[in-house]
Amino acid sequence: MPDPFDPDPATSASNKVELSLPTLAPIRLTRVVRILWKKVRLDKIGLFVTSLFLFILAINLMKEGARALAPLLRDGAAISNPANSLGFGWLLAYLIMSGSPVAAAALTFFDAGVIDKLSTFAMITGSRLGASFIVLLIGFIYVLRGRDRATSMSMGLLSLMVTGTTYLVGLVIGAGLLHVRALDGVQFHSGVLLNSVINLIFDPIVGALSRFLPRWSLFLVGLGVILLSFNLFDRCLPQMSVKESQVGRVSRMVYRPWVMFALGASITLVSMSVSVSLSILVPLSNRGFIRRENVIPYIMGANITTFIDTLLAAVLLNNPPAFTVVFVEMFSISLVSMIVLATMYHRYERTMLRFVNWVTASNRNLALFMAAIFAVPIILMLI
Amino acid sequence: MRILVATTGSPHSEIALRFGAHIAASVGATPTLITVIRRVSDRPRAEAILARAPQLLQPMIPGAHTRIRLGHPAEEIIREAEEGSYNLVIIGERQRPDSVTRFLLGSTAERVVEHAPCPVVIAKGKIGPLLRILLCDSGADSRTLLGRFTTQLAELLTAGMEVTVLHVMSQISAGPGVSGRQLRADAEELIEKRAPEGELLDQDVRFLQQHNLHPRPKVRHGLVVDEIQAEARSGDYDLVVIGAHRGEGWRRILLDDLAHQVIAEIDRPVLVVR
Repeated sequence: MPDPFDPDPATSASNKVELSLPTLAPIRLTRVVRILWKKVRLDKIGLFVTSLFLFILAINLMKEGARALAPLLRDGAAISNPANSLGFGWLLAYLIMSGSPVAAAALTFFDAGVIDKLSTFAMITGSRLGASFIVLLIGFIYVLRGRDRATSMSMGLLSLMVTGTTYLVGLVIGAGLLHVRALDGVQFHSGVLLNSVINLIFDPIVGALSRFLPRWSLFLVGLGVILLSFNLFDRCLPQMSVKESQVGRVSRMVYRPWVMFALGASITLVSMSVSVSLSILVPLSNRGFIRRENVIPYIMGANITTFIDTLLAAVLLNNPPAFTVVFVEMFSISLVSMIVLATMYHRYERTMLRFVNWVTASNRNLALFMAAIFAVPIILMLI
Repeated sequence: MRILVATTGSPHSEIALRFGAHIAASVGATPTLITVIRRVSDRPRAEAILARAPQLLQPMIPGAHTRIRLGHPAEEIIREAEEGSYNLVIIGERQRPDSVTRFLLGSTAERVVEHAPCPVVIAKGKIGPLLRILLCDSGADSRTLLGRFTTQLAELLTAGMEVTVLHVMSQISAGPGVSGRQLRADAEELIEKRAPEGELLDQDVRFLQQHNLHPRPKVRHGLVVDEIQAEARSGDYDLVVIGAHRGEGWRRILLDDLAHQVIAEIDRPVLVVR
């Protein structure tokens, strides 16, 4: 038996090791678990689970109600070609102040056979164009309340212009890809197990509602539920507050366009909304940290991953061609953005900023622009 | 002050020689002219270039030292700058035929700017005596551009020279509720309000006043490269001074090389301070 007062360091060390391992390790582990547990926000997890539940429910309701809306869309709203669908998606996004529910609606219409692949693609594009109007509208309200035009509207205008230019070129590329069926092989099946679980949980709810409500109204209920689900999801996200000392010298730095592109894409992948991604920039710009050079690639990146919820909706519908449509949308926008960034970024950046300056230069220009962004989707609806 | 002027005998090198003559004359230095050959057999051609070059320096300076080095032009110019402990390298910029070639190969001037141990002037466009200087201070480094400039090249600043200190604000308001007053303010207002940009300019002005200069602070709003270019043109400056791109670690990957863009797009001599 070793002497407890043995001065031999080797023996002492081994004694310490033998004593410490069985007692200290669990204590440390418990402490780490406790610290982690304190950081876990159960309310946020609850909100996330609820929002996911509502999202799936909404897709199921919209899917059920979409077929009944077919005559209304074809005859009432005269949605008969891709141009109509583009205008319809655009205006509907204005109306409900969000793009994702409209994109999900486009997929349910496609699933129900109300619109074809190309029209679905166009309607999803329209939904994003309409969604980018939201930031602009908030700025416009500030202008009406007497705030400076350029300060209030620059970000909204940039967002709308970058979205408009990339998506409209992307629309042409995507339409071509869909026409030649180049990406038809890219499909995703949700799987039998997932479908069974979804059907088991949601079919009774949809069935119960369809007994009390007219079938077409299920679509509207679904639209309301999906809006609620996105609202709850936004509340799950951490609130952005940046202290000046935390970012310090970052304010004077101009990042490479590809870095901002990746940042915009990553943040939107988590937030699933371009509006939320842009709102994250607000506290930073309040302290002068957002630079003109950084904004456009950030919006470009955000505009791609914002489709992640639409992709999820396509999976939930268990409609592989719907998944292909969304994938083609993401692919074509990515392609356009990357070509712009790699070959003509500075020229593009200058053109966008020059246009924003022109719009905010006078009330007349602003009025003309606002009139145009309402007139264009209406004209598209009438084609 | 030790000045190294790179020459190849081409028209763009003549611009560098003429600019070198102006600088050397203003500080009373005898420049060293360097030409780099890739093969030993090119030596007679190099000697002919260096024999002709001093004529371009006259009558501003009577003569110059000459050096011939064998190897890659950019690498040998940088090596000579290191071994000779030069204070300034002056080099002309050959315009590449297209942007793709330029992107793939880069230019000798760009490589020298990136790796030289001392400040580098890219001589191009209108060449004349240094009467009007534009100092573009981003304030991005803890050591300001002026601090670095005066430590390395204080002799270039002479009384009577017109100096403008420019800071470009490309900040933008990301939200409608953000107060944008300072995003449109001029230099005087920013200095008066003690905004970070105002303090930077104020510090620069005081610093230059200690060197018996009367600089003019200026703020422009817009894209950094475009605004520097616009100011250089509208103010008809003889030299534009910018900070070098910080090329180490994470900054090299993340930060945009604005110095490279300014050098590529501006139509007059640019001094890159590191």
